[in-house]
Amino acid sequence: MKKGIVSLFLCLVVAAVVLYGQAPAAPFKWIDAGSSLVLPRELSFENVSGRLGVLNGEGPVATKGHPFFEALGPNGRACVTCHQPANAMSLSVDLIRERWTATKGKDPLFAAIDGSDNPSSPQDRESSHSLLLNRGLFRVGLPWPPEKNAVPEFTIDIVRDPTGINRDPVWGMKSATPTVSVFRRPRPAANLKYVLAPDNGVFNVKLGVLLDKDPVTGKPVSMNMMADARAGTLAIQAESAYRDHQQGRGQLSPDQLNRIIAFESQVYAAQSFDNGAGDLAEASGPGALGPLNLLRETAGVLNSPAKPVFVFFDRWKTDSEFRQSVARGNDIFLNRTFWVRDVAHINSIGLANPAKRSCAVCHNAVMSGMDRAPGWVDLGTTNYPTWTEPKTWNEEGELPVFKLTCRADARPHPFLGRVIYTSDPGRALITGKCADIGAITMQQFRGLAARAPYFANGSAKNLMELVDYYDRRFDMRLTTQEKQDLVNFLRVL
Amino acid sequence: MKRFLQMALVVGLSAVTVNAQNLSFVTCPVVRDTKTVPCWLAEYEGETYYLGKQGGVAQDFYPPQLNHEVLVEGVVAAGPRVCGGVPLQPVKASVLLEINRACNTILPVEDGIEAPQAVPSRDPVSWVRSNSTSETTIYFDFDNDFLSLHTTAAIQRIAEQFLQTKAAAIELSAFRGSSRLSNGKELVEQSGTAALRAMKVQEILAGLGVPQTAVRVRVQAEYRKPDGIEDPWSRKVTLSIKP
Repeated sequence: MKKGIVSLFLCLVVAAVVLYGQAPAAPFKWIDAGSSLVLPRELSFENVSGRLGVLNGEGPVATKGHPFFEALGPNGRACVTCHQPANAMSLSVDLIRERWTATKGKDPLFAAIDGSDNPSSPQDRESSHSLLLNRGLFRVGLPWPPEKNAVPEFTIDIVRDPTGINRDPVWGMKSATPTVSVFRRPRPAANLKYVLAPDNGVFNVKLGVLLDKDPVTGKPVSMNMMADARAGTLAIQAESAYRDHQQGRGQLSPDQLNRIIAFESQVYAAQSFDNGAGDLAEASGPGALGPLNLLRETAGVLNSPAKPVFVFFDRWKTDSEFRQSVARGNDIFLNRTFWVRDVAHINSIGLANPAKRSCAVCHNAVMSGMDRAPGWVDLGTTNYPTWTEPKTWNEEGELPVFKLTCRADARPHPFLGRVIYTSDPGRALITGKCADIGAITMQQFRGLAARAPYFANGSAKNLMELVDYYDRRFDMRLTTQEKQDLVNFLRVL
Repeated sequence: MKRFLQMALVVGLSAVTVNAQNLSFVTCPVVRDTKTVPCWLAEYEGETYYLGKQGGVAQDFYPPQLNHEVLVEGVVAAGPRVCGGVPLQPVKASVLLEINRACNTILPVEDGIEAPQAVPSRDPVSWVRSNSTSETTIYFDFDNDFLSLHTTAAIQRIAEQFLQTKAAAIELSAFRGSSRLSNGKELVEQSGTAALRAMKVQEILAGLGVPQTAVRVRVQAEYRKPDGIEDPWSRKVTLSIKP
């Protein structure tokens, strides 16, 4: 009898898994480089507000021998080390801290090259990895002057260097290979058809210049993949990650590149269940939620009344209290206007400063919430005085601070002038242009609940802090309820 | 002698008439909030002028920016006030590069002051003029090489026409301009501006497949004397396809 009950229970569990088509998450919560697993078509991972769904659109993926999952360089890391399915193909601080505890800091994730604040610091100390452990930030070392612009429009002075990296004789700005180090969050390697869909035509309509081209196909690229848009294609990004993060030498083979790109191009991640809203992937639900809708929808579509950024939440307006809150959040996102001001590459491109606009005017790409045009803007998170860091540059802080001084004959930053204090010059480290100082490419909105903290500098520990920043930055005057509505809206994406 | 004086008087009067219709001045722009979209205004000698309203990058009028002064070059248009200001049409609003934090006025919504429902009818003064499929001129804001949506489209059309017709060359002439303000002061663009414009357009042509050897570039470093009337059309690049 007892055996029969157990068998029945097991059958029910199996049936439930089959019905939902989702594999239990335990073996996949952390995927080590070199693991021998088969990722099913659909995966589900618990997080603070519900469950994240991950969908392999091309079916199950065997990790053994797969270049996305194998350590290709000498430091033991694979692509998956920093792009974990459980975290929407990014990496949360919670998971990073778990790995530190579980491995006593020995996981390749904490590799000195960029998983520590400074490769010259003692690597066995937790304090040497503080930016990764506290804010989920990896070091990004960029050559100075930039490779494509040997005569930049500005000079860089180091004002604050709490990790010592920028003054380091081996790794710093005066080393044999002068390098500026900034610290940034890893971006989700999922839903990439939306990230990579180029704007219509061949022009960057914001700047009146041509879009970068894919060197292989000659076609324009979106320039929306990386924080500073330095890599336009998955192939270029993979090669650069292989060298910079895995410390590989030479080049990836064509087969390795093709397999990495093929995997990245078919994986979708979005919240699939919310503790307040319930099943997000139900057939009658809002048309943007859940990973399956990401697989089905067309990329490169611009926000419009007929097709809003995250489609329609109308049915939820008369549903449960939580769903009503989400629907209100969506309405605020789409329709609430406020004065968007002093944002370089938004207010400086013919749209007026200030412009009375809503969130969706800039976050205008359907399904992703990115900008369909190249999306690097100086929102203000990295530049004084609107940065997320301490209010004055000489206070203690975790991030480096640089003083950038523009040449007299250069066009100044449109809203900060010719002397700018910044914790991350952003796109300007690639172009050398003053107008690009602090400009960071906006990120996709999907799977947010699985991958805190937020902003490229990891300064918003949760979604409420993110909403609060916008509220302060643009004097939106959101009520407490409206902020919560926006948070609830964001967390179901 | 009397006849000469009469003639001088007539010439003088017509000059006054022309100058009365054309206005050029540098000032802080002002935003007027409305129940719909904001309007952009500018004050000069005690009068408020309407420049345009907030729109998208596809519209002809690119609004000014707070925190910057604006060079307004326009023609006083007949008709009622728009959004509380005397309309200028056509109007070119060039954002001056350097920061001026004193330019920070946002007027609140006020009953009876509305943004126009539709863009007021304009002469075809989008800042592109094409005489034919093989010749186009694009105009720039003062001290600026920014290419708007319309101007990049015009460059693309020229490149496509060049490639389709297998023409021999494109002549690219870049000019630096100046502006005579209504108070008599003259503004001149920075010396390298024409070269920057040429370089930018040249890069785009190359990126669109026009061989660099087929582009004959002429940079006009000198500028024409400003007259307070035609000045917005002095800051330009002309492209001409040569068979």
